[in-house]
Amino acid sequence: MVRIRFHGRGGQGAKTAARLVATAAFLEGWMAQDSPLYGAERRGAPMTAFARLDRAPIRERGMIARPDLVVVADDSLLADPAAHVGDGVEADTVVFVNSEQAVTQLLERAPCPGRLLTGDLTGLVLAQLGKAGALSGPLGAVAARLVGLSETNLRTALVMELGELGLPVPVIEQNLSMAHACFELVQPVPLRQNGDRPGQPASLRTPTYEPPTSGTARISALANVTVRKTGGWRTFRPVLDPEKCIGCWMCYLHCPDGAVRMTGATHPLIDYDHCKGCLLCVEECPTLALISEREAGLVRRSS
Amino acid sequence: MTWPHETYSKIKQLPLEEQVLPGTSLCAGCGGLETLRLAAKVLGEKVVFVNAAGCFTLLAVYPFTPFHGSWLYTTMGSAPAGAQGIRDALDVLIAKRRLPKEEDLKVVVLAGDGTTYEMALSATSAAIGRNLDFYYFCYDNEAYANTGVQLSSATPYGARTTTSPCSLQHPAGTVREKKDIFEIWRAHRPPYIATLSARYPLDLAEKLARASRIAGPKLLLALSPCPTGWGFDPFQTPEVARLAVETGLWPLKEAVQGEVTHTYVPKRRPVEDYLRLQERFRHLFEPTRQEAAIRHIQDRVDAYWSRVRAEPPR
Repeated sequence: MVRIRFHGRGGQGAKTAARLVATAAFLEGWMAQDSPLYGAERRGAPMTAFARLDRAPIRERGMIARPDLVVVADDSLLADPAAHVGDGVEADTVVFVNSEQAVTQLLERAPCPGRLLTGDLTGLVLAQLGKAGALSGPLGAVAARLVGLSETNLRTALVMELGELGLPVPVIEQNLSMAHACFELVQPVPLRQNGDRPGQPASLRTPTYEPPTSGTARISALANVTVRKTGGWRTFRPVLDPEKCIGCWMCYLHCPDGAVRMTGATHPLIDYDHCKGCLLCVEECPTLALISEREAGLVRRSS
Repeated sequence: MTWPHETYSKIKQLPLEEQVLPGTSLCAGCGGLETLRLAAKVLGEKVVFVNAAGCFTLLAVYPFTPFHGSWLYTTMGSAPAGAQGIRDALDVLIAKRRLPKEEDLKVVVLAGDGTTYEMALSATSAAIGRNLDFYYFCYDNEAYANTGVQLSSATPYGARTTTSPCSLQHPAGTVREKKDIFEIWRAHRPPYIATLSARYPLDLAEKLARASRIAGPKLLLALSPCPTGWGFDPFQTPEVARLAVETGLWPLKEAVQGEVTHTYVPKRRPVEDYLRLQERFRHLFEPTRQEAAIRHIQDRVDAYWSRVRAEPPR
């Protein structure tokens, strides 16, 4: 059995990617299964999706704790403790990360025990669509390629699944050409198939609890939500050119999260710890003093 | 005649103090959060929020809160009842002199359209009937968006949701019209009702200021563009919000003691400009253009505004 785990942020298309690779495998004669797992959070928050492929009927269900292949939609997830990318990753687990950076650069910043591969899928999408769209097609294509599925079956899966989502024909065509580029980007790798080893019998794990006095926020604490950093949600960041800023307050008023502060009521200061990258401020700025820049890789540049 | 601004005539009169802090898990570009943040600035610090389940559940995921004050979480059906309990408790404490009058709090219900238009409607009707002194802030994103965008009675004709898809039987998607909650509230004769749009912050702030001076039940109904549910990129939230108002689909108005005033009269761009931006209406244009459905939406807007013009100024 091949167990694939996708890590993404809500809205990046990891759920559909798992579905694409499962459908492509099914068309190739495998048994296949896929499922997503969301927390209570929304678009932008870490989520996972799973796919299991096997020649025999699949009797396993639920989350994949020890994946053979991990596909990561955004390199910022590596540094996000909430994403749990490294869970169950062993020395022979293949980990593909969507990143502009090379493997060595990534490893410097986020140690990863598995066999790491990288590729710039976001760049591919930007070039193809002219904007940052969902990565479902490219992520699914990379996974299918690494597993060794045929491009024909992946193309059929793309047409079936994206068509079912109601995407317009031109967008499906763009996904087909991105899938082709992904097949050139990576080569099939021999995956360990831990299903061939004797499985561990399930055991009941008793969770351990911290004492209530350590590390938990007090319920009587006020406005303590700021300790939760949402800056990791961004694909693009707003950047201010103070020369062009006329201090009109538009960015400050319209930021849904209140991540733009006014210093001395005249100059906006962007709180990159909390800015989710919705770019309303860039849209509202009347003087083009705010521009959007693609987030540079794993470590968010602090302002 | 333009609507007079009594409290806020300039953007920079808005308070700088933040009442809703960053770090919540709501979607990037949430139109509802944008509106709440502006409204909360005007309401100030002495507020207790009563939050019906919905997207805004994510404002205060235990043990974190974005507010300086208290937040009570209720079921979708019982937010006005929760507000009643808190209001009564405050009144009792003040009457017994256990709470100084100047420490009184505003009781503000936060509810989505599923709660407002459907689940809490009877509790709301009863609360208005009892003349409960509370604010009812509704972030209307025209669907049950928190659970993955299902049809609500706030969903407009022609929009697609997961439970009203574009199908052979119903090519337009949603077949019924959006429920007019403004008129349902107005029929109860509450002292103040207003519609809001975060794209028009001065209009919004002025309405919140007016509501603050009036005792009794007050509805603040905000159209909240939803990138996730309506299918547009988060950065387009302002454009979608602006076109909702400029096409006349979302009239900015208030009703003081039942008397309706339109606070902004748009020049009325064709509704198509608004529909085209959103995934939920795309089936009206692709693969074939559903002329009749688009026409129907335009006719409804035209009819609304001709009624507005025909009404004699009171």
